Amino acid sequence: MNTFLDGKPLSTRRFSRYLVFGLVVVLAVGTLTARLFYLQITNGTEYAAISTRQRTVDEPIPAPRGYMYDRNGRLLVKNVPTFAVKIRPADLPDDRRDEVVARLAALLRMDPAEINGTIDGNPGSAFDLVRVAQDVDKRTAQLISEAGFDLPGVDVAVEARRQYTDGPLMSQLLGYTGPVSAEQLPDLREKGYQPDDLLGKAGLEAEYETELRGTYGIQTVARDKTGRRTQVLQTVKDAVPGASLRLTIDTTTQREAQKALKWAMDKVGMTRGVVIAMNPQTGEILAMVSLPTYDNNQFARGISQTAYKKLLQNKDKPLLNHAIQAHYAPGSTYKLVTGTGGLADRDINESTKVLTRPFLTLGQTKFYEWNHRGWGPCDIYCGFGHSSDTFFYQVAGMLGSDRLAYWARQYGFGQPTGIDLPGEVGGIVPNNAWKQQTLGAPMFPGETYQAGIGQGYDAVTPLQLINAYAALANGGTLYQPQLVREIVGPDGKVVRPFSRKVLHKLKVKPAVLRVMREAARSTVTLRHTYNLVDMPIKIAGKSGTAEFGTPDAQGRLPYSSFFVGFTPKDPRNGSFENHDSRLIVMAFAHDSRTKGNAATEIVKYFFQLHYGIKKDYRLPENLQRTNFYSND
Amino acid sequence: MGVIRAEPARVTDWAAKSVGAAWRAFDLQLVVYAGLLVATGLVMAYTNSVENGSTPLEAGTTFTRGLMWAGIAAVTFILATAFDYRWLKTLSWPVYALQLGLLLLTLAIGDGIGNSARWITVGPLTFQFSELAKILMIIVLANWLAGRGRRLDSITTILGAGILVAPPLALVMLQPDLGTSLVFGAILVGMLWMSGTSLKWLGAMAAAVIAMVPVAWTYLLRDYQKERLTSFLNTKPDITDSGYQLYQSQIAVGSGGWFGRGLTNGTQAQGDFLPVQSTDFVFSVLAEELGFIGAIVLFLLFVLLLWRVLIAGWRSRDPFGTLFSAGIASMVLFQLFVNVGMVMGIMPITGIPLPFVTHGGASLVSIAIGLGILQSINIRQTRAEW
Repeated sequence: MNTFLDGKPLSTRRFSRYLVFGLVVVLAVGTLTARLFYLQITNGTEYAAISTRQRTVDEPIPAPRGYMYDRNGRLLVKNVPTFAVKIRPADLPDDRRDEVVARLAALLRMDPAEINGTIDGNPGSAFDLVRVAQDVDKRTAQLISEAGFDLPGVDVAVEARRQYTDGPLMSQLLGYTGPVSAEQLPDLREKGYQPDDLLGKAGLEAEYETELRGTYGIQTVARDKTGRRTQVLQTVKDAVPGASLRLTIDTTTQREAQKALKWAMDKVGMTRGVVIAMNPQTGEILAMVSLPTYDNNQFARGISQTAYKKLLQNKDKPLLNHAIQAHYAPGSTYKLVTGTGGLADRDINESTKVLTRPFLTLGQTKFYEWNHRGWGPCDIYCGFGHSSDTFFYQVAGMLGSDRLAYWARQYGFGQPTGIDLPGEVGGIVPNNAWKQQTLGAPMFPGETYQAGIGQGYDAVTPLQLINAYAALANGGTLYQPQLVREIVGPDGKVVRPFSRKVLHKLKVKPAVLRVMREAARSTVTLRHTYNLVDMPIKIAGKSGTAEFGTPDAQGRLPYSSFFVGFTPKDPRNGSFENHDSRLIVMAFAHDSRTKGNAATEIVKYFFQLHYGIKKDYRLPENLQRTNFYSND
Repeated sequence: MGVIRAEPARVTDWAAKSVGAAWRAFDLQLVVYAGLLVATGLVMAYTNSVENGSTPLEAGTTFTRGLMWAGIAAVTFILATAFDYRWLKTLSWPVYALQLGLLLLTLAIGDGIGNSARWITVGPLTFQFSELAKILMIIVLANWLAGRGRRLDSITTILGAGILVAPPLALVMLQPDLGTSLVFGAILVGMLWMSGTSLKWLGAMAAAVIAMVPVAWTYLLRDYQKERLTSFLNTKPDITDSGYQLYQSQIAVGSGGWFGRGLTNGTQAQGDFLPVQSTDFVFSVLAEELGFIGAIVLFLLFVLLLWRVLIAGWRSRDPFGTLFSAGIASMVLFQLFVNVGMVMGIMPITGIPLPFVTHGGASLVSIAIGLGILQSINIRQTRAEW
């Protein structure tokens, strides 16, 4: 009624215009509602998923790596928290890269080129983190962390690094961990590795990588639009810590071995040597020292390129475990093979006398006795005891190269022992087939002579040598040497208990080995090894001197020395008729060139330390340097 | 009986009118809806403050500033209600001068991002005069069109209105503020429509404007404005540049679902994926946190408010009141549609705030003035008038 109050419709108030305006309102709000429905209801799930995807990310939870203990439970390696600086190349703008890298380099006191090299060498994609520095001190880590916006793409992460309790003492055994390389990544990715992962690179760390590593967990992490992680939202799966290893190594024994070896090396001025101790009844390695060594903590902290280069360029190859990763001519220690073969093949028996002479002549070539005199008619005890070359030339001649090689393989030479360490080499056992294949001719008789005394083509690793004598000491079983006694799960339960691993039984009568043990004892009793016989413990063993390399101006060759010795179960009163030895030790003194047998002195000193023998039987005069080929 | 033209009230009128009558004419519903919308804005300010990691009640947060402006707006509203709107007709030309003056002042001494000049800073406060200029424009236009009386069919009415709008629109364009200048256009069209001008000439004007579009595109718009205008057309948004905000706001809206994630749980805003949640994109936060239902309630509040605004115009015996209401309704509807449409990717990105909800003092105070004038119109249409 009040619409047309003034009797004439107000031109400013037309119902139709209001109606249309109202329709426009309905249309507009209707359109907005329809669009809202489309976004929130029709596609809501999809948008929610996008939202979740861009704001959260499933990240792996690192699993603590398993520890290692020695046989008595002494902790050898553990994990300590450390700051690592990482870069996600995708978040590092190209135009700011130089500036950011320069700043980071200044903060880390590193060379920018090194950081650039690391980024460019990134094994993963641009979205994967690259570790540019580890073991960064807390203050630097804080500075970098706080400089967040000035250092885009740079991330400070707390991660665990390995701390090796004894450093260089065990480096050759425990090895170290290092970053995944670009070549490894594709394969490792399938096994759940991350591009910035660390994995075992050497030693037991590498050998037991699967067991030590554990399994990553998964957690959902919130992130903001720059990709920075803001908080952990939930744990999808817990990380499973890696298993721990209990080694066969006895730290005390290892120390004794290292001390004995170091003493001799320092005395002589040698630069390379090995000592191994094991239990012949089980194949357990009690000590294994290879010098020179390195400090695996250097690797754990992230070794600098210069330090690494230095290690690589050292001619004595500190990164190499010379006990297993290099082979050498064994010298007279190899006479064990020749003697055992001769007896087992009945070419000789316990009482067969072989005439030893100043030299033998084969064709035009003279094969000298080492003392150029000989001992007249000699049985095995005399021949082995004095380490007569002419005795074993003749026995080798009777055996022939193929039978000699057969017995060498019986003792485990010519193939890796299978010890649980990576990179073991197999050595060389020459026979006709081998020589035909490699050099295109059969073995010449002279070469067989040489092979019979551990020269010529023979090449063995120190571990193979001690393992062969271990088979002698234990009555004929060749065990696979082992470094890990038990694998213990994260819950403390033993996952894999210790068991001896028999490679094979020697195809030889026990009597033959008993003769050889007595022959080894005669080495000591005949004073071939100087005053070993005077010690209050009973040792049987064999020394060896092996020439290698190229002759000097006077035609003399440098030489190394070996000694392998074992004691009966009761070291003071036992006898070698039995095969109950619990300890066998070998020493290898590379390029010793000493007056006496340096390796014998090392083993002697080891026994002194190990058995707590107060009296000092060491003969320093034996360690005087000479180039005179004095003693075998 | 001729049309009774409302004149400025004489002092004696105040005595003649009972306060009760004025109160009965006061539109309480309008105030309630507007109040609820302001409250919604404050709630969004609160959740934004929380999500940005600040304590909402501390000084200087979006929330406390919102509270302050809401208080100022309430006072302004009461003052505008008390003020006899009829003075505005007398003061039309001074109002126009004030409008142009404020816009010129903004251009002269205003601040803005980059080289723009959009707001004036006085001490800790900033004020965007172009918001107030919208209301002043409505006053000027309402007075002009109301004065045209029976010559509404004439082309001169439309041309005159256009000429009145042109200078302020140009000044706003110079700031440059494309969004506000579009609102000026929308106000003009809405008011012309409601004034009852001839459809013929409205059609002709529409044709002329459409014909102008290519010219404006080529010569008037700056590159970034073009980019913003077109980015919503891309189906696969370029998520690194100007499309980023649009993309993120759509994700925010989309992930709200029926009921939303709940207040302060907006993940898009929290992760800082949505760059300017508190400004023109506030609707995306609302839609994410309160969901479809919450957004529909917001729409409903706007529809109810528009209804009350239009009712005020319908009831006004004074053509000025009808036209003023039409201007306010056009402005609110246009801003609602363009702002929400922008957030949801069906309208181009223009800097148009969502009335009441967007956190901006000028916007809120200006609309409070507008609604206050509307109430002033309501309570001054009593029977005693004629």
